[in-house]
Amino acid sequence: MPAQTSKRVRNTQLRRHFLIGNEAHVLPHPSFPSPPPDGHTKGWKVYVRPLPNGPDMTTWLKKVQFKLHHTYTDASRMIEAPGPFEVTETGYGEFGVEIRLYFAPESGEKAVYREHYLVLAPYGSDEQKARQSRENAVVAERLETIEFNEPTLDFFRAMTGEEQFTWLKVVKKGKGKGKKAEMVFGSEVEPTAQLPERPVGGLEGGGGGLGAGGAWSRVYERQVVAQLAQSGASLEQALEHEKREMDSRRKKMEELGLAIATK
Amino acid sequence: MTSKTEAPQPRRWKKSQFRVHSRPTHWSAEDTPIPARHDQLQARRWRRATQGPNDVAPPDAKFAKYNVETEVPTYDAEAYEQHLTHADWTKEDTDHLFATYRDCNGKWPVVADHYASDRQRSMEELKARFYGISATLLSLRTPITSMTGTEFDLYNALEKFEPAKEAARKRLAEGHMQRRQDEVDEETVLLSELQRIMLHQATLDSEREDLRRRLDHPQANSNSYPYATSQSLTQLWQQLLAADRLKKNQRLRPTGNSAYDFGGTPTSARPHNSNAGLPDAGSRRTTLPSATTPQSALPVDLSKAELSRYGVVVGQDKLPSGVTFASDRLSKPRVAKSTLQTDKIAAILTHAGVPDLVPLPTPAVIESFEALMGKVHTLLDLRKFAEKEEQELRVRLAEAS
Repeated sequence: MPAQTSKRVRNTQLRRHFLIGNEAHVLPHPSFPSPPPDGHTKGWKVYVRPLPNGPDMTTWLKKVQFKLHHTYTDASRMIEAPGPFEVTETGYGEFGVEIRLYFAPESGEKAVYREHYLVLAPYGSDEQKARQSRENAVVAERLETIEFNEPTLDFFRAMTGEEQFTWLKVVKKGKGKGKKAEMVFGSEVEPTAQLPERPVGGLEGGGGGLGAGGAWSRVYERQVVAQLAQSGASLEQALEHEKREMDSRRKKMEELGLAIATK
Repeated sequence: MTSKTEAPQPRRWKKSQFRVHSRPTHWSAEDTPIPARHDQLQARRWRRATQGPNDVAPPDAKFAKYNVETEVPTYDAEAYEQHLTHADWTKEDTDHLFATYRDCNGKWPVVADHYASDRQRSMEELKARFYGISATLLSLRTPITSMTGTEFDLYNALEKFEPAKEAARKRLAEGHMQRRQDEVDEETVLLSELQRIMLHQATLDSEREDLRRRLDHPQANSNSYPYATSQSLTQLWQQLLAADRLKKNQRLRPTGNSAYDFGGTPTSARPHNSNAGLPDAGSRRTTLPSATTPQSALPVDLSKAELSRYGVVVGQDKLPSGVTFASDRLSKPRVAKSTLQTDKIAAILTHAGVPDLVPLPTPAVIESFEALMGKVHTLLDLRKFAEKEEQELRVRLAEAS
């Protein structure tokens, strides 16, 4: 009989949101060595992170390999759990970082490549650019949703354990004598694998992000959907236009056909 | 001054208590404007000519903080013509509404009372018009994409105002207020009855759940004796037989029944990996159809809230194998087989204002993006067709001339 561990949970999917991104600062900057290496103008950090107030990543992610540009010494950096999964470097140019994610052995999944293109210069609207250069911090990140399709039984158990949220707990001191210090969640909202309703920690647009809204939340999701709906409406108009054109062409065609027939 | 035992004495004024210590000062009456009033009303006030050190501030400075103006969005004639026209409203009526709103400090009951027009309009109609204009102006000032969270919330709230629903709500509340006593009594009785039923329901449900759990104990996992069905017994037999064949001195004899001895491929040749478990699980499920419910397919019993908390999605059909990324569903449809087609798609998307990278691959976003891509493809097909037709038209024109 085959081992029970390799059995899979059918018709089921496990979803996890996480962030891939980088932050960049113009040198000199306090968190980078000074003076910077010759010709290096930017200090940056590329990372793979869980959502704030989300479940622990290391349940499914065991190590991450960052493949930097080949001109860096020791270009492929392997970061093992418990992380943090990030690489800090200095440089002068943007390039694509290949990120290889290695999953937990019980998941039975192969490692997967993702790519993140480093963003070092301010981007976005003029206002955003101004803010980024004023604060000397460029943050470019995107939300990724990984889907484990039909996970193995063991992996499913691990991914539905309460222990995933313990990393968010902080020690709350017991009041008075004899009361034990207990572990509670640091945030007011109960942590969950879903997107939070509002940005966590009151970071109104502070998360940066590629869009203008920034912080990852349901509010932002609705904004994106509204924007897509707008685009859809403009496409709808274009479709209407094409249809009208088609009608007019058809009419012309008929007229021409008549003209040829009468000739 | 007086003790209780003594007879009350007539109180005498103490002279020193009421003596004025300061010297008399000069006061003058001045006309001072009232900043809160827009007509040039002057109030005559007595004011000390020489300001003392502990003089109170003049009243207009003290109450200045209460002179608040309500924030009213403004528009000019051009903006009105372009975005704010309404079949039911003329510009004069709209202007009048905004002026009334400003005058009444945004108190809607007062605005509805003061708003006088040749057309009778309810408060909800006024509100709907006002909120509609506010939302439009808001989105004109900052496009939806670059709104901050609070701005977007406000915009959403303004956008979502439904006059009919609001009116119905008020009617309901009013009716509720004017109920008779016997109706109130009846409702209380009914409510308590309902509560009783609900309470009972909880215990009933839990009992039922308990019973169900007893009936539906996990078959697949905690099975101490794995060879319960004839299929698995057959499988075991085949496995043992296959193992035996490899040995020099065979101790097992085939039964002679080919159905038992060669059930498909020999089991030893079957790879001992994840796939091997699947047909087995499937066959077991088919043999016990009554015992397995969809819920028990999950190894851990989870409530709906817990499912969402742990990011588990159940009941998906035709899942791809392995690991997938939701963001791929936002980037892959943009790439067609030919570069030319890819460029065309990109051009249309840029024209429609879709960013190159949609940073939030949630199901809702993916769904609307897929709808969008459907439209893009229809548009592409239409354009291709248009090109063909135009070509034909040109040929015919040449023919006709």
